[in-house]
Amino acid sequence: MFLSDINLGQYVPTGSIIHKLDPRAKLFSLIFIISAIFPAKNFFQLAFWAALLAVIVHASKISWRILLKSSRPVFFLVAFTFIFNLIAAYFSSDLSTAVYRAFFTSIRLIVLMLFAIMLPLTTAPLELADGLDYLLRPLAKIGFPAHECSMMIGMALRFIPLLMQETDKIIKAQLSRGARLDQGNLFQKVMAFFPVLIPLFIIIFRRADEIATAMEARGYDGGSGRTRRKPLVWKFNDTASVIISGISAGIFFVL
Amino acid sequence: MNVNRKQKQQQLNRNNQPFLEVRSVSFSYDEKITGRTLNSVSFFVNKGERIALLGHNGSGKSTLTKILGGLLEPDEGACFIDGVDINKMDFQDLRRKIGMVFQDPENQIVAAMVEDDVAFAPENQGLPSEEIQLRVDIALKEADLLHKKDAPVSALSGGEKQRTALAGVLAADVECLILDEPMAMLDPKSRLRIEKVLRFIHGEGMTILQITHQIETENFDDIQRVLVLSKGQIIWQGKTQEFWDKAEELGFELPDELKIKKFFNRLGVRGEGLEIFSEKNFSVPAKLKNNSEIKNHETKFNIKNLSFKYDEKNFALKNLDTEIFSGSWLSIIGHTGSGKSTLVQHLNALYKIQSGEIFFDAQKLPQKGEEVHALRQRVGLVFQHPEDQLFSPTVREELAFAPKNAGLKNSKLDEAVLFGLECVGLGKNFLERNPLALSGGERRLVAIASVLSTRPECIVLDEPLAGLDASYQKKILEMLKNLRNSGTTIITITHNLDTALKFSDRILILRNGEKIKEGSPDEVIEEIMNVLEPESWPDVLRVSAEIRKINKNFPLLYDYQEFIKCFSQI
Repeated sequence: MFLSDINLGQYVPTGSIIHKLDPRAKLFSLIFIISAIFPAKNFFQLAFWAALLAVIVHASKISWRILLKSSRPVFFLVAFTFIFNLIAAYFSSDLSTAVYRAFFTSIRLIVLMLFAIMLPLTTAPLELADGLDYLLRPLAKIGFPAHECSMMIGMALRFIPLLMQETDKIIKAQLSRGARLDQGNLFQKVMAFFPVLIPLFIIIFRRADEIATAMEARGYDGGSGRTRRKPLVWKFNDTASVIISGISAGIFFVL
Repeated sequence: MNVNRKQKQQQLNRNNQPFLEVRSVSFSYDEKITGRTLNSVSFFVNKGERIALLGHNGSGKSTLTKILGGLLEPDEGACFIDGVDINKMDFQDLRRKIGMVFQDPENQIVAAMVEDDVAFAPENQGLPSEEIQLRVDIALKEADLLHKKDAPVSALSGGEKQRTALAGVLAADVECLILDEPMAMLDPKSRLRIEKVLRFIHGEGMTILQITHQIETENFDDIQRVLVLSKGQIIWQGKTQEFWDKAEELGFELPDELKIKKFFNRLGVRGEGLEIFSEKNFSVPAKLKNNSEIKNHETKFNIKNLSFKYDEKNFALKNLDTEIFSGSWLSIIGHTGSGKSTLVQHLNALYKIQSGEIFFDAQKLPQKGEEVHALRQRVGLVFQHPEDQLFSPTVREELAFAPKNAGLKNSKLDEAVLFGLECVGLGKNFLERNPLALSGGERRLVAIASVLSTRPECIVLDEPLAGLDASYQKKILEMLKNLRNSGTTIITITHNLDTALKFSDRILILRNGEKIKEGSPDEVIEEIMNVLEPESWPDVLRVSAEIRKINKNFPLLYDYQEFIKCFSQI
């Protein structure tokens, strides 16, 4: 029931070879891999990507326990997809194909999500923001707020665990005041969450305001003129990772 | 960098212009509704000075802080640094003059790793990488954090996080630090470490303006001048020594340590010369009783062999056995992580019992279903900073939430609301007000009232005084005392040993999830001294223990009045 032990996509510093990759290389690789997994048609292809995932997780020195714990909320999505697929497929064909389809789609989603979650797990929020900023730069030319968006994503990741803790505390406090969060019909359940959501939003806005003030006080004035303690440097490993993921994805496209 | 600071200071001392000058600054958020938050405030700070700006909650301190940092523009008047209006200064120039540290370290740290966070300000200044690294290393050294350089921020203690925030500002190589309640969320030990850092950088020539609502003895020796802000105006300013004589007049309580110093001065004891007490015979005074006797020793909660684990490895609570008496006030003390919060969240079944038993009025504590809802009306739980949980548009609706959940309607409901309001001493005129528009102290009272409105037999409060100024602390202590005297069982979790010793009937000491001892304050005082470090002892206890070291006759005391009675024959 309580949320504070969920840490969706929180950075786990281990100093591994994966952590040391340039965030841009990781972003490129992830884009290749994801675009190859989406159209995957058979279990053989999925097995290949699952094996690659296993290699990356091993190299990252992040334990499967942490990876699975961090992606726990995703499994709700998977369960939902499974059921939905089952129902949809059942009406169009026989049961065994339907089960197969639902099963396949869910596995595909799990592999995909685990790849995606490895990114924030192995990349510090500000680094990730830097990488995104870089990749979105072409869009900045046509007026897209690339730096602001990247910074926002970075900061959001940084504050997820704190907000989970706050939510936890508010839920407990309202339960202590007799709130019935788990009873009644759907409408009553939704209404029952207002005493949790309103304080949560107030806290989020206040924190956001205080963080903005503190950042401004430390001379943050948007992205222009900012330098880096560790500037992004493209290394051999980065090229290698992009080439490996690019070629793997390419092969499956051709097949 | 150090040499630089001293040189800059010497240069500026040659011309007599103050470093920072505030000239009749006024500000209001909405003049019609709240009036002026600041009204013609003027003062100056010289280069290299260390100044405290004191003010109670709602005096306009935070607003003034923001104006000084150039984060708000005053309606009238202006602030000047080296004679230049800060609202006309270039953004980056101003950021290199003034650095700011705020109360909550979590809201100041932007990066996941200590080193990355400290680098944030120099990165914003557009410095080359090598210089950024140099700045980071120096700042971490000054903030006494070099050993945590590669640590993730999430693995730091509260005090270390605040020092990271401080290092993050030092790395900007500022000339002046403005600190807004930097110690308010920290334990006494962490405060001392921050204070050590501040003393060091002040010695290096840093100008420091510390804004605070309470007088902290650990730093007042270093502070040269005091300004007092009240209702948006500076009502007093002068040297720290002069402030001590005026403090009570200005509405600030003197710390016991200072009272003792003054008292010893009158006795002719100077400095650390306690040796003169080694041969004296002290009169041991009768105990001053704050509380009436507990009426009957009925047991409210009987906790038997309770254990609890969050994960496989570590016990949050281990084989805990204790009784909580009906109508008594129990304080639970211990370090962070000692199991205090875990224990109290069992009492209204937020946590389910994993092993062991709890009896409430001799009945097994319910664990599920309607009975749990009934239990939560009888055992109220007020979390830390409960004002963060308010959600209603009016105080009336906020106070009606819990009794409504308990099924009360119409006149019964109105009665419950009024009861809650009366308990915390707020007038009926508060009923239609918006809780969010109240002051911090008032919001705290409303939050407590919203739990009291179901007339619980037992109320549990986690750090009820945290972050409040002296007058609201007093109000809440009085309120709890009255509740206790009318038969309600009170359980508080606190870091504040002074109030725990003076107000509670019983004290439970926890360490690593285990009970060390439970008993009346006088029964447990020696265990408290074993478990908690001297920094967190009440001043009187610390001095008593010093004297006791050289004279076994002297009792261990924590009340100032009792303490001075011991000297009545000298």
